[in-house]
Amino acid sequence: MLTQVMPQPQVVEDRDRAAIPPSDAEAESLPMAVQAKNVSMWYGAKRAVDNVTMDIPAKAVTAIIGPSGCGKSTFIRALNRMHELVPHTRVEGTVLLNGENLYSSDVDPAIVRRRVGMVFQKSNPFPTMSIGENVIVGLRLNGVRDRKFLNEHLEKSLRMAALWDEVKDDLHKSGTSLSGGQQQRLCIARALAVEPEVILMDEPCSALDPIATAKIEELIQDLKKHYTIVIVTHNMQQAGRVSDFTAFLYMGRLIEFGATTKIFTNPGQKQTEDYITGRFG
Amino acid sequence: MVIPKHILGTFDEALGALRNDLLMMAGLAERSLDRAINGLLQRDDDLCANAIADDEEIDQLEKQIDKDGFEILVRYQPVASDLRRVISAMKLSPNIERVADQATNIAKRARKLNRHPPLPEVQLIVPIQAHALSMFKDSIDAFVREDVELARAVVSRDQQLDDMKRSANRQLTERMVQDRDQLRGYLNLILISRCLERVGDHATNIAEDAVYAAAAEDIRHQTLTAVV
Repeated sequence: MLTQVMPQPQVVEDRDRAAIPPSDAEAESLPMAVQAKNVSMWYGAKRAVDNVTMDIPAKAVTAIIGPSGCGKSTFIRALNRMHELVPHTRVEGTVLLNGENLYSSDVDPAIVRRRVGMVFQKSNPFPTMSIGENVIVGLRLNGVRDRKFLNEHLEKSLRMAALWDEVKDDLHKSGTSLSGGQQQRLCIARALAVEPEVILMDEPCSALDPIATAKIEELIQDLKKHYTIVIVTHNMQQAGRVSDFTAFLYMGRLIEFGATTKIFTNPGQKQTEDYITGRFG
Repeated sequence: MVIPKHILGTFDEALGALRNDLLMMAGLAERSLDRAINGLLQRDDDLCANAIADDEEIDQLEKQIDKDGFEILVRYQPVASDLRRVISAMKLSPNIERVADQATNIAKRARKLNRHPPLPEVQLIVPIQAHALSMFKDSIDAFVREDVELARAVVSRDQQLDDMKRSANRQLTERMVQDRDQLRGYLNLILISRCLERVGDHATNIAEDAVYAAAAEDIRHQTLTAVV
């Protein structure tokens, strides 16, 4: 139920797909975490996403690629109703999260955003909060007061975000005292603390150096054992490295969706080929 | 089909340089093979020496193609058809180099044969070399033109080459029994026919890579029926 306080992620058979990416045929047999059906989105009169239907497999990484302005970021915002924070936006179509319609009238958008967490391009820890407070702020806002519970989730989230060892002695320090890569992992820890089912990442490494990027990518591989991850990236190599599936969007439309290995060795659509090989004129 | 250029001009230049080196290497290997066979048929040691000398340049081009390919992989991280072309080019060059090695082997054996009276059985080699050479040329053409049908046809022609070699070897073996004085000469002709049969094998490998480069289909280690 989308209205319950602390929903647990659905238990899906755990398997590490890091080493062997799934094939297209395998993809069809995977359980779907998110199903977008005929999703269109408008900013005022401008249509940014055009009738996109996409099934996002559970416990896998799906990369969304496409040129600037193709609707990637807009589309993923429809997956947790984040677009509703922007005035004059409108959505048509349905988005199912583990079979439940996120756009039902009785669904609380705040609950949706907890079940579908988000990490942004620029790390954005709350500047007035300590590292520890940043991580548990979501739980606090959800009314959790139990100190022991909060401390457990603080450590667990930081460990999952591969940040615990680096900050365990500095939890009282400001979140903004960390490096860019650490701040981004702090934001991931913050998203993890409320135990989401899906994590949306909007160009999470675009402002990071290669070392910090590698740490985030390694983290993504760990996280996908437990979470469904959707990552928007402009970096083709990153999409190739971290994702199991790739979706190519162009001018708001979904041109192609498939296993990443297939997309990057033999895409089915000429537009995809032209884009990923750098022939887009 | 006209392939649109990359936005990044230097990427096109690098791919063009790789392609040119590959074409140059294939051209030299073909010339070397031609010289070796003509050195045999015309009993011309100079042609044989030229065929052997070609090998050095071909070896250098093999190294250059590896360098070109690695540089493209490092600098441009190609994907999709670009990646397939680069990988295939890097797989083609050792096969071309081996074709040139076979030309060298043929030239060396031809020089040995040229020291003795001519053997009329050398004519048995002519159809084998014509078949092997056409397979090699077509495999390169198939790669360059991304002609999948031509590449598949090359693969299917390898069996015929094997049959031709077997038939020639049978006749040469019979001659060895009949004319023991020319044993060494017939043996050299058998080994030359084997070199040409190996050229066909390399042409087959090249054709298989041509299919992969053009259509992303791996046709290696399949039955002939499945390939065609």
